[in-house]
Amino acid sequence: MDTKLIKEVTDWLKTTDLAEFCYEKDGNCIEVKTQEALPEPAAFACSLTAVTAPAIGIYHAADKGQNIALTEGQLIEQGAPLGVVETVSKKHKITAPVSGKLRVITVREGAVVEFGLPLFFIEPREC
Amino acid sequence: MGTDLSFTPFQKVLIANRGEIALRIIRTLKEMNIKSVAVYSQADRNSLHVRMADEAVCIGPARSAQSYLNIDAIVTAAKLTGADAVHPGYGFLSENADFAKAVTEAGITFIGPDANSISLLGVKSTAREIAVKAGVPVTPGSDGVVGKNYHAIARKIGFPVMIKAALGGGGKGMRACFNEEDLDRMMSTAQAEARANFGDDRMYLEKLVLNPRHIEVQVAADNYGNVVAFAERDCSLQRRHQKLVEESPSPFVDAATRVKLQEAACKLIEAANYRGVGTVEFLMAPTKEFYFMEVNTRLQVEHPVTEEVCGRDLVKLQVQIAQGEKLPFTQKEAAVIKCHAIEHRINAEDSEHNFVPCPGTVSEWIPSGGLGVRVDSHVYVGYAIPTYYDSLIAKLIVTAPERPQLLARSRRALGEFVVGGVKTTLPFHKRILDNADFIAGDTDTGLIERMLKQEKEHESQN
Repeated sequence: MDTKLIKEVTDWLKTTDLAEFCYEKDGNCIEVKTQEALPEPAAFACSLTAVTAPAIGIYHAADKGQNIALTEGQLIEQGAPLGVVETVSKKHKITAPVSGKLRVITVREGAVVEFGLPLFFIEPREC
Repeated sequence: MGTDLSFTPFQKVLIANRGEIALRIIRTLKEMNIKSVAVYSQADRNSLHVRMADEAVCIGPARSAQSYLNIDAIVTAAKLTGADAVHPGYGFLSENADFAKAVTEAGITFIGPDANSISLLGVKSTAREIAVKAGVPVTPGSDGVVGKNYHAIARKIGFPVMIKAALGGGGKGMRACFNEEDLDRMMSTAQAEARANFGDDRMYLEKLVLNPRHIEVQVAADNYGNVVAFAERDCSLQRRHQKLVEESPSPFVDAATRVKLQEAACKLIEAANYRGVGTVEFLMAPTKEFYFMEVNTRLQVEHPVTEEVCGRDLVKLQVQIAQGEKLPFTQKEAAVIKCHAIEHRINAEDSEHNFVPCPGTVSEWIPSGGLGVRVDSHVYVGYAIPTYYDSLIAKLIVTAPERPQLLARSRRALGEFVVGGVKTTLPFHKRILDNADFIAGDTDTGLIERMLKQEKEHESQN
């Protein structure tokens, strides 16, 4: 193994904003990760709480007949309204299962959603 | 029958069911060039009906109450996918008048009878009233729900009597009572069962016909008053009121009785103003006298037996009727008997240990094949049978020109069917085919229980 090459690659990586680097040549493979590199995707997904559609229907960003504005990054409290899924005869209310930061909004106003589809991901506030 | 009536063919049909019957319906829709929409619970994500349909939507969690029995979710799915009709299959919501009504009110066609017919025929006591009015023979009974005077009514009918729940089905809320001393006890246990299962404890009484056969007649009726009846199915082989083997034509029914059965079934269907396919069930005494039992206002599990005998696609017929087409054939053509057919219901159950359900992952799957063999199934290698639903994994339908050939072919087909990873009822079906009474065509609804009892006695002797 060419340790000189590894040192060069590591030094070079420090000058960039790359988190990971993978180099493969002649059957040798060098994989370098900085401390800032993200953990495995699976672990990343687990750190967020998914809020799924409670029914098949149409999503509305509304609560008690009033439109609600939701933006990624906003802080929300457990039980806060996240909208409704409307079926032919019912309105299924969606509320935040945990307090924390609303990291991802995957649904838009008026979208058709299936039962169990993830609509929001919340990063729970650390206790 | 010339069809000068214009009708609008369906573009897209949603199937409100799962398992083999969902596949069965999708297959016909494909042949008719109609798009299919599958609905599924989270437990059925890897199910074949989801893969085979043109579209599939998840309607709820594993428990049927929140998915396959969820009227709101299914009607919403039909609306959102733009389906112009809903096929209910069998079981689940297929005989639920509220479902038929909800579908229709959403501006979607329900492939089946209207809500009114379902509720009229679904309550056994009103179905019986219709039969009496139409001149269809019924077993002597209470003619409606009984009150506190049930002792007098039972005495008038004569023991033994059957106690039945007005909204009953599948043998629940049903008791056979052989003498008056047991009547009070039997009535209260049947009522408790009916309350628990149907939320209704209205009961009625009927004469118990000893050693009867279960004979049923497949019917079809269009919107224009045309009704046809097909050759009967003999479904006498049952365990705890669950059918295991169905055969058509019945080895017990002669040509003259066959005509009588078909006429009785047609009269009843006409009197009920019924539209769609359905089944009129009769109890047949050893004297060949028959009595009306009930109408199943839907497609039945055992419909392929009739399809083979008459050579017609009953699901296609359902779609045609729902689209507003006239029946495309006459009574004479419907009653034709092209072959002898039998169906074996293969369940994921341990038939050697009291038929306990055996869910699990299917590791090996070699269905029977060859001449005269049809397998309707949703199973594949690696399929995990969910614990939430019924245990039917395949229907083996065998046909032959004559009954002796049919039994030989059935034996051959059962012998080559291999299912690995889960216990099935295949060994039990093989033993049925070795039963002397069954071979002789001498069956009644008690045969399976007698067979099991004999086997038990034989075991304890050895």
